[in-house]
Amino acid sequence: MKRQILFIAALAGMTSAAIAHHGWGSYDAAKPVTVTGPILTSVFTNPHATITVQGTDKVWTMTLAPTSRMISRGALAELVAVGKRVVAFGYPSTAEKDELRAERITIEGKTVELR
Amino acid sequence: MAAEGASSWLLAIEQSGIGQAIRQSTWAYPAANVIHVLGLAFFAAAVVVMDLRLLGVFAATKPADVIGPARRFAVGGLAIMILSGSCLFIAEASHIAHNYIFLTKMVIVAVGILLALLVHKPLTRYSLRAAAFEPASAGLRFTAILSLTLWLTVAGLGRFIAYV
Repeated sequence: MKRQILFIAALAGMTSAAIAHHGWGSYDAAKPVTVTGPILTSVFTNPHATITVQGTDKVWTMTLAPTSRMISRGALAELVAVGKRVVAFGYPSTAEKDELRAERITIEGKTVELR
Repeated sequence: MAAEGASSWLLAIEQSGIGQAIRQSTWAYPAANVIHVLGLAFFAAAVVVMDLRLLGVFAATKPADVIGPARRFAVGGLAIMILSGSCLFIAEASHIAHNYIFLTKMVIVAVGILLALLVHKPLTRYSLRAAAFEPASAGLRFTAILSLTLWLTVAGLGRFIAYV
């Protein structure tokens, strides 16, 4: 009983410090962007693969797709790798600076739809 | 990957061996997701049966015949959800811990568990002693409505975590 009350108090404390994190709702589909540049970092993990890309004026963080979907559509970790040149079309986040949700990426002439 | 300003203990959980293993596996994360919702199916079914029985639905049954088995399914379903949910949490702890829908859900889960613990004794008493068609006390009926509201809210919030 005492433990439950402590648990609630701890969670309530966390809530007060909480900030809204991005989700699928907080991307601006009205302002699509196309970014072309080399991949700087690539994290091929669940729940979504993530890459950073050197754009013309800034570094973008790009949320891709779950790894199973990436693999089944041919966007393997070896293709979405550091140093490869990517053309990414996506929607910028309204919550996180310089982050976008990529709808499709093209690497070495191969275009992969991510949704 | 980590959210800015995330607490070190959240980062430690996320960067741990198990956290990395869940993220790097193609199937662990989606599997945990599927198991989580299957756990919910059993849990929600059992909770709804128990609460509806208290509210007088299936009144022709003896409470003991319904509430006892349903309670075991509810506890089992909850355990499955806590285990699978922990996998989902560990994989992206530093992000998810700052998701206010997730935090709201956790608070309501805690309140729901607390309510279940508080109701445990009077519910057992009613369940063991009452005959078919014998209505539950107003207090028990109230907690049944509260329980239904809390757990269905938890289920809804769970779906909503990905959209904020």
